[in-house]
Amino acid sequence: MNGHVTRRGFFVAAAAAVGAVLQDTTSAGRVYDPGRAGRALPPVTAADNDAAIQRIEKRIRCSCGCGLDVYTCRTTDFSCTYSPAMHKEVLRLAATGKTAQQITDEFVAQYGEQALMSPPRRGFNLAGYFVPSVVVLIAGIFLFLRLRRLTRDVQVSSPTAESAPPANASAAELERLRQELDRLPG
Amino acid sequence: MELLELIAGLVLATGATYFVLLPILRPSSNESASSTVDEGEDPDDDLSPQTVALRALKEIEFDRATGKLSDADYESLKAKYTSEALAAMRGETGNGKRETGHVTSDATTFPVSRFPCPEHGVRPESDAQFCSQCGRRLGAAPGYCVRCGSALADDARYCNRCGTRVAA
Amino acid sequence: MTLLGHLSLWLAFLVGLWGAITGFVGGAQGRADLQQSARHATFALFAALVVAVVSLEVAIFRHDFSLEYVAAYTSRNLPTFYLWSALYAGQKGSLLFWATVLSLFAALAQLLTSRRHRVYLPYVAAVTCLVATFFISVMLFAANPFQRLAFAPLDGSGMNPQLQNPGMVFHPPMLYLGYISITIPFAFAIGALLSKQLDTEWLTAIRKWTLVSWLFLSIGLLIGMWWAYVELGWGGYWAWDPVENAALLPWLVMTAFLHSVMIQEKRGMLKKWNLGLIIGAWLLSIFGTFLTRSGVIASVHSFTQSPVGYFFLAFLVLAAVASFTLYVIRLPLLATEARLESMVSREASFFFNNLLLIGLAFSVLWGTLFPILTEWVRGVKITYGPATFNFVNIPLGLVLLLLTGIGPLIAWRRASLPNLRRQFAVPVTSGVFMLLILLVAGMRDLGPLLAISIGAFVSATVIQEFTRGARARHRQYGEPIAYAVVQLLTRNRRRYGGYIVHVGIVLLFVAFAGMAFKTETQATLRPGDSVTLKSPYGHMYTFTHVSVSQYNQLNREITAALVDIRRDGKPIGRLRTEKRQHVDALGRPTFEPSTAVGIRSDVREDLYVVLGGLVNGTEEAVYRFTINPLVWWVWFGGFVLVIGGLIVLWPGGGSAPGARGRTQRAQAGYTVKLEAGR
Repeated sequence: MNGHVTRRGFFVAAAAAVGAVLQDTTSAGRVYDPGRAGRALPPVTAADNDAAIQRIEKRIRCSCGCGLDVYTCRTTDFSCTYSPAMHKEVLRLAATGKTAQQITDEFVAQYGEQALMSPPRRGFNLAGYFVPSVVVLIAGIFLFLRLRRLTRDVQVSSPTAESAPPANASAAELERLRQELDRLPG
Repeated sequence: MELLELIAGLVLATGATYFVLLPILRPSSNESASSTVDEGEDPDDDLSPQTVALRALKEIEFDRATGKLSDADYESLKAKYTSEALAAMRGETGNGKRETGHVTSDATTFPVSRFPCPEHGVRPESDAQFCSQCGRRLGAAPGYCVRCGSALADDARYCNRCGTRVAA
Repeated sequence: MTLLGHLSLWLAFLVGLWGAITGFVGGAQGRADLQQSARHATFALFAALVVAVVSLEVAIFRHDFSLEYVAAYTSRNLPTFYLWSALYAGQKGSLLFWATVLSLFAALAQLLTSRRHRVYLPYVAAVTCLVATFFISVMLFAANPFQRLAFAPLDGSGMNPQLQNPGMVFHPPMLYLGYISITIPFAFAIGALLSKQLDTEWLTAIRKWTLVSWLFLSIGLLIGMWWAYVELGWGGYWAWDPVENAALLPWLVMTAFLHSVMIQEKRGMLKKWNLGLIIGAWLLSIFGTFLTRSGVIASVHSFTQSPVGYFFLAFLVLAAVASFTLYVIRLPLLATEARLESMVSREASFFFNNLLLIGLAFSVLWGTLFPILTEWVRGVKITYGPATFNFVNIPLGLVLLLLTGIGPLIAWRRASLPNLRRQFAVPVTSGVFMLLILLVAGMRDLGPLLAISIGAFVSATVIQEFTRGARARHRQYGEPIAYAVVQLLTRNRRRYGGYIVHVGIVLLFVAFAGMAFKTETQATLRPGDSVTLKSPYGHMYTFTHVSVSQYNQLNREITAALVDIRRDGKPIGRLRTEKRQHVDALGRPTFEPSTAVGIRSDVREDLYVVLGGLVNGTEEAVYRFTINPLVWWVWFGGFVLVIGGLIVLWPGGGSAPGARGRTQRAQAGYTVKLEAGR
């Protein structure tokens, strides 16, 4: 019951809202209720679209817990407050003339190694990068050797059986075999 | 409302308990009625040695037709799997014969050995019981696996070595 | 309905315990009455859990906010559609859903298993009951969906907006179906180990089940990708999130099994390996559940942190120890005759295919757990991001893709050089040709170059397989070519259905490669303003901001922005993208505002428009415009993959009348023998 009432209430409100918006747009550039459109955003600047800045930001992890990099986080829902702040920090550091490497180093100094989306390729991290490939490679070599030994065994032991025709088969048996073969699908 | 739910819960519990305990309380309850269906079997599910060998024959034939297998390879593989299929086929008939008690009556009609060795093929000795190359028992004999010839335990239903089902 | 739900949960718990005990004991002692009782227990378990589910759904539909679960995940104004999915929107409900689906599968396994596999059934009942009992006990002792609140709030907190998406109604059930159905093959494997019936019989008993769970997992993963793409708004579909990885792991292992099982069927090899794979796949599915529900690793999917994680960890460890102990004890019974005619054979290629699939699974697992490992070893937290996953896994994936093309070209058992040359000529030429075209076209990125050329190679392989197969039939049986193609598919569903799956995989790889060329820009636009973006194909897209409107819809307040799109000056349509503020029935906002993305999809590229927000409450809007090439092919490739899987799965593969007669005779003979043996 209650659901009905509220739903109807919504329709009324919706109609009112649409009407209000129509009025508003004709007069000024303001929308009916800015509050429901999420956080008010500053206009996009050229620096926001700067490829070099984006490259840096894609290497830095947003600290809001989303697990995304700063660039992706700040352009996904536009609701995170951490990533725009980190973006500003990147812009500030870039304005002081620092290189990409120096900027990421600053972030590492502040947040620790987890600030990088990809762990730096040194020390123990190398294990993260190369253990799987090396394991697969080694396993592959073992498998190859094993298979070679297997096939060699077979070839040494049974050349006669494979070259000899089944001389012992009677015609009736072969006929039955053929029938069974025909029955098999495929 | 609460009471209704309680009653419903009790009914459910009683019903479930009765249903679960039924086979124990009345062991004679008709098992076949509730037993599993005999679904339409997928031919792919047939993994008897004979079918596996026959399927292999089909496959090499098709592989040759599509140009994957050279004629020489085809011939040698065909020989191999034909003898395997024959062995399996005879194994089956052999078992049937044994059940009716006529095992030895038709064993001498073969020009060479009645059963080929799965590894070394046909034996030149016409009445070979064991492979003269590897000593494996050939063909079906009570207490030995029909596929690989290994000795079987008394109550074995499957071969310990190759997993072939022991015919009842 | 809390009382009834609570009662039925306890009933299910007791029945499950009973089924587990009678199943194991009945199986071990060969007591028919106990075995039957265990069988009945699976049905009773299912019935009790269905009652529990119905109770919860009734409470949800009645808006009974005195239930903590109902208050936490729904609200009075939640659309009916999502009231259904509220069942699995939260931790507790999804546990109930999980247990219920498992009991459904347990009952189906008892009903559908053919008579010849009867020997495994008591053990299957026992294992499925035991696993279900575990899930029920987690609910009863740590996360009870029927827990009451001290007072009933006026309205619930509502469902997370991100879950209010059609994808979310289907994605979890599909994934769960896949995850859960792995339990059945696992139960059969344990049954085989316990009963010592370790020949090929258990294999045929579970082959269909493995395919079913593989198919559900695939569908679940695909819908999950689709959901991430249309809902999360970052413009991609796969982020190597730990939980995505957790679902990928069993999928990879099952894929490996579906290949290696053929070796066992044809050659009697790899028995130990196949059993190990099934056990591994199941343990990975439990591991995935543990990851999702423990919050050990941060992820978008994480349920809130709770003691449930420890239950799963304990269960995982116990199950792993128990099943591998049993496995090791039975190893002597699993000795196989290793016979391989040639190094250059389909068999050998399958060995390497398994190596790579399992290697890939290991690699994904390694990456997922590496941050934890680093924290143990070095005491430092690190991030193992998508770029690192790509770096490690793309090469492995490409080699695997290459093998997808190589394998089918090599004959089973043996191949000789001239034949190989004849087989490889066309596919290799196609691959190289594609590579040259791409190079001339100016593509320089190694990953996509390789992915697309190898894709061409694999497709050529599949096409060649079909044409040569059809031609062979044409020669052999005089069938017209078109009919011969149909015959190939129906007569040998597993092989040719499998090839269609391969085509799906190729399409997916090519589509993944397309993501390397995505371009995007952000812009602030007043009504009438435009921004242009050049697509990788060289088209100029013009996006014009039309207007912003605000209105209410269902349970949300919407701010919608309209964008006119022109391609090379020609209008091609209009997209709407929204900011949604969800509210409860009293008009109070629930959750942060969320974004609804505007997507225009065609075979070449997707236009992906996100409304970021408004500048100071005016109609001046902040947008992100993204062009994602080839995304359409992800969904199409997924569709092809599922169709291929269905063809493989379709019952009665190649049922020639003769064959049916033969199997029926064999069946009859078998039954007679059984009766005689008693």
